[in-house]
Amino acid sequence: MYRYDEFDAAFVGERVTQFSDQVRRRIAGELTEEQFRPLRLMNGLYLQLHAYMLRIAVPYGTLSARQMRMLAHVARTYDRGYGHFTTRQNIQFNWPKLRDVPAILSDLASVEMHSIQTSGNCVRNVTVDQFAGAAADEIIDPRPVAEIIRQWSSLHPEFIYLPRKFKIAMTGSPNDRAAVKFHDIGLMAQTNREGAVGWAVYVGGGLGRTPMVGKLINGFVAHEHLLAYLESILRVYNRYGRRDNKFKARIKILVHEEGLENFKGQVEQEFAEIRGGVLTLPLEELDRIEAYFAEPDYADHGVVAIDVEREKILDPAFGRFLENNTFPHKRAGYSAVTISLKPIGGAPGDATAEQMEAVADLAERYSFDELRVSHEQNLVLPHVALTDLRAVYDGLAAAGLADANAGEITDMITCPGLDYCALANARSIPIAQDISRRFAAPERAREIGKLKIKISGCINACGHHHVGHIGILGVEKKGTELYQITVGGDGSEDAAVGKILGPGFVADEVPNAIERLVDAYIAERSDPGETFIAAYRRLGDAPFKEALYGNG
Amino acid sequence: MALASPIIAEPKHDKLRQLGIVALNGMYDEMDAEGVLKQAVEDLLPGSIALVSSFGADSAVLLHLVSKVDPGLPVYFLETGKHFPQTLAYVETLKAHLGLSNVIALHPDADIRRFDPDGTLWETDPDSCCYLRKTEPLEGVLDGYGGWVTGRKRFQTAERGVLPHFELTSDDRIKVNPLAYFTHEDIEAYKAKHGLPQHPLYEAGYKSIGCAPCTSAVAEGEDPRAGRWRGRDKRECGIHFDFNGSIARPVSQASLTLFKDGAVRTDPWKAWTEDDTAEEARYTHVPLAVFRDYRDVFLASPHPIGLRVDPGDRVEDVAEDLDRFSSIAINFPAFTDGRGYSSARLLRERFGYAGELRGVGDVLTDQIPFMRRCGIDALVVTNAATRKALESNALAEVAHYYQPVGARREVPAGTRPFLRRPEPRVTASARSDT
Repeated sequence: MYRYDEFDAAFVGERVTQFSDQVRRRIAGELTEEQFRPLRLMNGLYLQLHAYMLRIAVPYGTLSARQMRMLAHVARTYDRGYGHFTTRQNIQFNWPKLRDVPAILSDLASVEMHSIQTSGNCVRNVTVDQFAGAAADEIIDPRPVAEIIRQWSSLHPEFIYLPRKFKIAMTGSPNDRAAVKFHDIGLMAQTNREGAVGWAVYVGGGLGRTPMVGKLINGFVAHEHLLAYLESILRVYNRYGRRDNKFKARIKILVHEEGLENFKGQVEQEFAEIRGGVLTLPLEELDRIEAYFAEPDYADHGVVAIDVEREKILDPAFGRFLENNTFPHKRAGYSAVTISLKPIGGAPGDATAEQMEAVADLAERYSFDELRVSHEQNLVLPHVALTDLRAVYDGLAAAGLADANAGEITDMITCPGLDYCALANARSIPIAQDISRRFAAPERAREIGKLKIKISGCINACGHHHVGHIGILGVEKKGTELYQITVGGDGSEDAAVGKILGPGFVADEVPNAIERLVDAYIAERSDPGETFIAAYRRLGDAPFKEALYGNG
Repeated sequence: MALASPIIAEPKHDKLRQLGIVALNGMYDEMDAEGVLKQAVEDLLPGSIALVSSFGADSAVLLHLVSKVDPGLPVYFLETGKHFPQTLAYVETLKAHLGLSNVIALHPDADIRRFDPDGTLWETDPDSCCYLRKTEPLEGVLDGYGGWVTGRKRFQTAERGVLPHFELTSDDRIKVNPLAYFTHEDIEAYKAKHGLPQHPLYEAGYKSIGCAPCTSAVAEGEDPRAGRWRGRDKRECGIHFDFNGSIARPVSQASLTLFKDGAVRTDPWKAWTEDDTAEEARYTHVPLAVFRDYRDVFLASPHPIGLRVDPGDRVEDVAEDLDRFSSIAINFPAFTDGRGYSSARLLRERFGYAGELRGVGDVLTDQIPFMRRCGIDALVVTNAATRKALESNALAEVAHYYQPVGARREVPAGTRPFLRRPEPRVTASARSDT
């Protein structure tokens, strides 16, 4: 894991001091809310429906046990005993008091964490594949480059007042688990003809009210030129992105309106000017950062495979956990374990202080002190020896975290919705809870297989509904909350935006509607191995439209 | 002591200080010039008071008083490079005669060649000429003192009819006017009594003497200052000090909006208005589009001009002409509009613009560190809180930088990891927080 050196520590320390003084001035009445607003937003402090919300960056989703324990401490001491993991691999606390925020930030700084640029119109936390550094299918661990991008984008003086927020996602694997094509910039590791690894750059993807799939702007950018290339894109965006309309200010609109070729021409022209300049990344520096992410000291336990079928007979719950919540590791004898934060009937992404501590203990004991936050709002123990899986499972079960539903229908992404968020039009969490109760039976979930449901409480699409195989969008119509259902979205390398098939449903009807879609899929699929999304691609809208609205 | 501090104080005067000034004025007889000066130099502002003298026709009286009270008092002389040889000789005569040991000549900035390459600016643009040769050199000096001795007299103008010995200016400095109650006759009598040497040009009809090109003789009975800028609609050099070495008028706080080189100062530049023309514009920030429309006229004009860059302007379009601008103003109409940062970096880093680059518009405390890093070195600040933060060097700033930006301040430190720069070395004046 990356560790701060003196420079990083001083940087974060200064920022804490600075913001603490701003909070003091706000409390003393020296700053009005209007003056304070841009300052607090730059430090991830939002004013929500009921209270302040503090969003803390988890850079590229990687945490140590010590950091996770500090999050538990913050939850317990300053909040209501829990925190909420987000789709940006961050964590949010929904009930901090303003006067406590300086202390929280100071506590976080002591474990090398901060809230810088978790909001505001600037470059946000870089997200990566949650299995980075562990996945068997990975070309390269994207985190060293993500760390370099984090440094480059932290308080970048030119790009601190962009037209709108700016999100970068990276995947080191061709199987995209980071939804890179739905980010302002998506980077996908690529091997060129000479066998060198670099990055394919996608630009202009995004969700929100105008969902767009990112477009390939450059098929291969070498590590050493990546920062110059990113700076070129950011500069063109900063200068020419729309600022007249908040809803048209993201880079996707600029790329769309200018056309990819035109936009690319401007970026390439800028790149030609700065290529090879001061932003050129020396390979020694990449090596230096990579050393922080060196592979852990794997041991050979003599077990390289687990007979899941046998375990399923011996202990069905554990068997199901193995089947759903483990991911192939690049090192034989190891596995990456997903800890589901989607208990049946719970609030997706929430974890209590006790759970965080339990997870921290397990990480320390069984995963080389490493943890990940996934953009699907789960946690990951990235390096668990197969021989430790049972112990990990038992530990999770004791903490109420052994839900074996990773990747299944109840593993939903859900935004906080109207229960917390000032922007929302409709509630999301209760909808997710209703759906998860409906599909609570493991046999039923297993029959359905891999199916991603994503729920947003408003058009801003924080719940990524556009890329849900089934997406649910809460809207408000004439005073009632209505839920629009989309089908066919996909956040992976086969990126697609879901389609609306007809009018929305009231909250009570949503679980039934989902059930009808699921039943139609099961009835129509070619074989049990054909996933929902594959079946949709083969069959088109018709059977699903009929399932939702009948054929009248 | 507090009075010696060069900081610019609150616009509101301390009541006690005002009462103190009233009391001081009551302590002296109308004609006790020496007592007034002694009080100021020894008790009121020891070590923090000075005077500016033109070494003109009637400078000798005040300088004589200085020699009696403290021959080491700093006496500034604006060596504009345009004086009569007789004036320069007179400086030496008075220094020797009065034993003045601390006469300091102030020269214009070396940069003056850029604005006045052939020395004829006085002809085309006397305002700019005065500004470059007097206002600018004095600005830095002015900040260093808590008060000034002037040679102003009640009789000279209508406004000066109520001039007291001690005054508090709007920026909380103390002006001392030992000659306030002297009449013309008193001056002549004093000169005669003490046998003070006369300016060599005085007998030739020069009653008020400034730079050679802008001074002519006055006829008998004519206003003594009629010979200054004769034939032009100009009476004062438009700066803090007129030619008698006196402070012309206190600078209003409202006009002090330019923060540069660590201090707030008066701004010689103005914004382009509908009434401006390309031929006549001087010390004006011309909008980029206007410059492009009248490029030939601006390039042919002898006046110093600046450029205003608005969000959305392409600085590439004037890259060839950047040498023409003495100042470029980047406009930030709203603090959330960050386009100006890109413009600033391009000007500095890509096009090598080295002149004044100022941020104008919605300039607030939190943006300033970013602006500076992008190459902006002057700020027009109207927000009172921001001005205060600048003056007290209390900007909210994270002084560790990950990105190499800017053409000057952020130099690679060698030992640091890639992309990092140490805390920048800001000019001493900007950082001194005494």
